[in-house]
Amino acid sequence: MEDNPTSWFMRITVTILFLFLLAPVLLVFPISFSGDQILAFPPSSWSLRWYEALLGNNVMMSAFLTSLGLASVVTVLSLIIAIPASYAIVRLKVTGSEFLFNLFTAPLLLPTIVLGLAILIIFASMGLLATFTGLVIGHLVITLPYALRVLSVSLGNLNLACEEAASSLGAKPLAVFGKVTLPMMAPGIVAATALCFLVSFDEVVITLFLTGPRMTTLPVELFHHVESQADPLVASVSVLLILMTLAVVMIVDRTMGLTKAFVK
Amino acid sequence: MMHQTIKRDGVETIGNPHLSLEGINKKYGLVEVISNLNLEVRKGELIALLGPSGCGKTTTLRMIAGLIAPSAGKIAVGGRDVTHIAPHGRDMGLVFQSYALFPHMTVAKNVAFGLEMRGLSRADIANKVAKALAMVQLGHLAERKPRELSGGQQQRVALARALVIEPSILLLDEPLSNLDAKLRDEMRTQIRDIQQELGITTVFVTHDQVEALSMCDRIVVMKGGLIEQVGTPHEIYERPTTPFVASFVGRTNRVKGKRTGDGCIRIGSSMIRSARPAVQDDVMVMVRPHRIHVDWSAASTERQGETQNRMAAVLSRITFVGDVIQYHFDVGGTEFIVEESTKKSQASRRQGDEAVLSWSVEDTLVFGADQ
Repeated sequence: MEDNPTSWFMRITVTILFLFLLAPVLLVFPISFSGDQILAFPPSSWSLRWYEALLGNNVMMSAFLTSLGLASVVTVLSLIIAIPASYAIVRLKVTGSEFLFNLFTAPLLLPTIVLGLAILIIFASMGLLATFTGLVIGHLVITLPYALRVLSVSLGNLNLACEEAASSLGAKPLAVFGKVTLPMMAPGIVAATALCFLVSFDEVVITLFLTGPRMTTLPVELFHHVESQADPLVASVSVLLILMTLAVVMIVDRTMGLTKAFVK
Repeated sequence: MMHQTIKRDGVETIGNPHLSLEGINKKYGLVEVISNLNLEVRKGELIALLGPSGCGKTTTLRMIAGLIAPSAGKIAVGGRDVTHIAPHGRDMGLVFQSYALFPHMTVAKNVAFGLEMRGLSRADIANKVAKALAMVQLGHLAERKPRELSGGQQQRVALARALVIEPSILLLDEPLSNLDAKLRDEMRTQIRDIQQELGITTVFVTHDQVEALSMCDRIVVMKGGLIEQVGTPHEIYERPTTPFVASFVGRTNRVKGKRTGDGCIRIGSSMIRSARPAVQDDVMVMVRPHRIHVDWSAASTERQGETQNRMAAVLSRITFVGDVIQYHFDVGGTEFIVEESTKKSQASRRQGDEAVLSWSVEDTLVFGADQ
């Protein structure tokens, strides 16, 4: 690899590419420390006023807490549903499992706006709009495909011989699952957890249909705020969102290693 | 070998077998992978299922373990019918080619797994695990994770894990195939020693004839879902009953011949004899390369004795393999390979040298050409 003539060229290209991808994200940080009244770059003065404004903004803060709670509940439910489902599909190969897998993962292919509209129509008649339950169910529709896909791949890659060895050693099916299969799936479970959490936490399109003045999430509130006002408050909210995402990614990296959780 | 074997209805039976397979059949859809397999294994015996890939040997082992169910037939262990018992109720130790250690547990925890499933006390478990690890000389690695171990060490852990539960039968599925050649030799001896010491009935699946011949009490040679021959390594090697067994176990020369009226077999212009008479007019003659003696100075093939077959040959190629030298001879258009241990005088041999090949009538294997 050393003395490779293309390596400098490659390095510069990759750096430019990364800057291009990250520039909008990085720009948010200086803007959030702006002292100005309107959104502009570069800011003419610096201050922490928009962070103070954020902390003092009850709507934003309650939206943040809703988002946090929503993402947590949705993630836990996704795992509770997707782990047994992926086991049934990959290991037990029950009749129609192929069809079930396609059905569960179909929302990934559908336009989210159509999905949101469909959910709106159904939920409106059931009185689930702008309720926490409604949001949880709506988000599950889009997090489940991710969880199911990641967990199925993870389960499919396990050495089946380990489970066979466990049962030959006297472990009943449930013990095999709990003591061997599940721990061996750990990287996949961590990856699915992170994905579900982030997908739910960042979701806008479907959530737009399901929120209302009574209950709203942080990304949706941010969207509404930008529509009505152009102050740097959105930058400080963005920083909050980015930091949450980073925190999840870092937890994954610390517990598992990113490559192990997402690549393999 | 040590026990009396009785032939009954063409099926070899032994008195009071520890493991018996009766009329085992396995179909996947319309494809029959095992057809009417009958086998009896004595207590304490190490038996090999030997054959090329796809012969059904692994399928047979997995049926004994209960990992797959036979389509028909009965499997019994110590007289108890286990055909419909789940793997966790069969009390069998399994060792896989891929080791199949639990990656999230330490070596000691791996070995302890089966004992924990049996609900033994903590002290008993610790005691038995230590003994099992000492048996495979891995006591010092008890707290390591499997990924920190070499392939050979991992396979010894797998062996300890399977043996610590004191199973009624040990099942080994190509346990040495992932190891390098030198380690394989060591493990072969070690597995055989442990098996003998514990006196545990063992079924060993392998495609490697050397493993089967060197380790096992008896060998079951399989092909296409059928048993070709069951016998001791000596019987399989010296008295193969089918041409497949003869060529799969050990190397052999194959020559087409014709039966003549006086019980001899004609190969080209030569006449040879076999200890066992030919059963058909068209036959396939097989001779092991190292059972042929080369006489470089003999002038003729005249002294055709009752016990020796002799044929004139021309040397066409020499392959030097180090400890063995292979002479490729042309015998009236057919190639004969002869193997000798290497010695210095062989350096003078040249292509085109003439010689007389001779071998014992006893070493002449004759099969029907269409077998």
